[in-house]
Amino acid sequence: MNETGHGRTAACYRFEQELQAYMEGEDAAFVPAHARECAFCRVIVEDLEALRAAALALPLEEPSPLVWSFVRAQLLDDGTFAERANFGAWFRQLGWLHRPLPVATFACLVVLGCLLTVPRNYPKPGNTSPISTLPARSAIRSMAFMRDSATLVQVVRELEATFRAREGSLAPDLKATYENSLISLDASIRECSDSLEREPDNSLAHEYLLAAYSQKAEVLSSALEFDEGR
Amino acid sequence: MADCREQITKKRRAIPYGQGLVLYLLVLSGSLVAADNSRVEKTFETSPNPRVTVANARGQILVRGWDKAQVHAVYSVVSSHVEVDTEVIPSNGPADKIHFATHLLDPLLSGRDQTADYSLDVPMGTNLEIRNTQGSVRIEKLQADDTTVESVGGAILVSDFTGHLFLRSVGGNIDVIRPSGRVEAYSITGDLHFVSPTTSKLRGSTTSGRILFEGDFSDGGDYSLSEYSGDMEILCPPSASFELFAKTDRGKLQNEMPMTIRRQAASPMSSANSLFGTHLTGKATVNLRSFSGTIRIRQR
Repeated sequence: MNETGHGRTAACYRFEQELQAYMEGEDAAFVPAHARECAFCRVIVEDLEALRAAALALPLEEPSPLVWSFVRAQLLDDGTFAERANFGAWFRQLGWLHRPLPVATFACLVVLGCLLTVPRNYPKPGNTSPISTLPARSAIRSMAFMRDSATLVQVVRELEATFRAREGSLAPDLKATYENSLISLDASIRECSDSLEREPDNSLAHEYLLAAYSQKAEVLSSALEFDEGR
Repeated sequence: MADCREQITKKRRAIPYGQGLVLYLLVLSGSLVAADNSRVEKTFETSPNPRVTVANARGQILVRGWDKAQVHAVYSVVSSHVEVDTEVIPSNGPADKIHFATHLLDPLLSGRDQTADYSLDVPMGTNLEIRNTQGSVRIEKLQADDTTVESVGGAILVSDFTGHLFLRSVGGNIDVIRPSGRVEAYSITGDLHFVSPTTSKLRGSTTSGRILFEGDFSDGGDYSLSEYSGDMEILCPPSASFELFAKTDRGKLQNEMPMTIRRQAASPMSSANSLFGTHLTGKATVNLRSFSGTIRIRQR
């Protein structure tokens, strides 16, 4: 056996290459044979075998859910298995739904579209005016309006909360423009709401109130899109 | 005496040096100013009906139609930290689409430093999409299928436009002069002004701004104007033929046009004031709404 100046020989390099197979139980007779002759390599094998024995002696513990989630994520990334198709998986693929701004704006527009397309006219006999929208049961109509508008109001409220949190980043003149428009819209919302409380069948107030909320949603969305695009 | 002569001589020598220094500083500052107000001029060969988009934060945008199959663009920026990106599609041959976008190299840049001004001469059939957040937009003489202009605080002025026009400014005024085709104009606090439209369909809405409509109504046209608290004024010729539906909740209705009235005065079911009637043969349909503003219909 020839030894180098560092005590490592060609046989030692062969030992390193076959060591992993030996530790995994494969047929690698050279490893234990060389370990009997080389003190340096013998120490390596003994250390690894001691570690394996100690690991086997450890009590079994269930990994935390966090560990399993990491493992699962890694396996998914590796393409080891595909998720079982279900509604949740399909929903998660709609990444755009995770962004609150377009979701809120879309929901607002859907609600507004429903409200505008649902027939509200109860034509009276002999009344040919296309403008007449006086409902036959104004109390129920106003209750329906309040129920439907609740979603719209909530969407606008959330958009406004986000806007208020970010308005400091807007340029002063831009912020002033948005503020003025919101003041104007809020005034119209207040007045229309007051009108509807006094006159639940006021169709004009109803239309203006819905329009004001819709416009407010558009203004807030515009402000937030501008802020996100900076 | 010798001292005085020496002082005078020194002053005479100093004067040319002083003038030279001032001249040097003037030239230097001029070159610096010129460098900052960089002006770029480009010409693109296009198809007859290209689509041109402009995205800008601040500054003036002017677009004029001409009879060449070219887009001639002149743009200038105030700050060297602002650049204009241009994308032409396709990259070879006549362009079908040209995109201009103002890009801030320094995100902390604010105010006037963000300014980029555009002047575009485009084919008459160009479809436009312009977003100018805090700057004005002016469009002249186009015959396009479809044009959209959006701003937050900027004013919008469109004249002699044919096609579908969609205009929106949160706080800026909107003026539309001699349009034909379909017009939609929306603002929250800005005023709307329509002059001599020959459109088949016109929609205008503002919350607290004013609406002024000057002109005739096209036969078969559909006009809908709505404002919340501002005043609305309609100035039309005696020959205008239209069917009117006007309604306000808390405002006033003032009509000077002789009309065949169908219903007037407050409805017993609400506080609304309404006026439904026909002037002449009622060929156009005019729908006017206000919540608390005054609606005036007068002869021009």
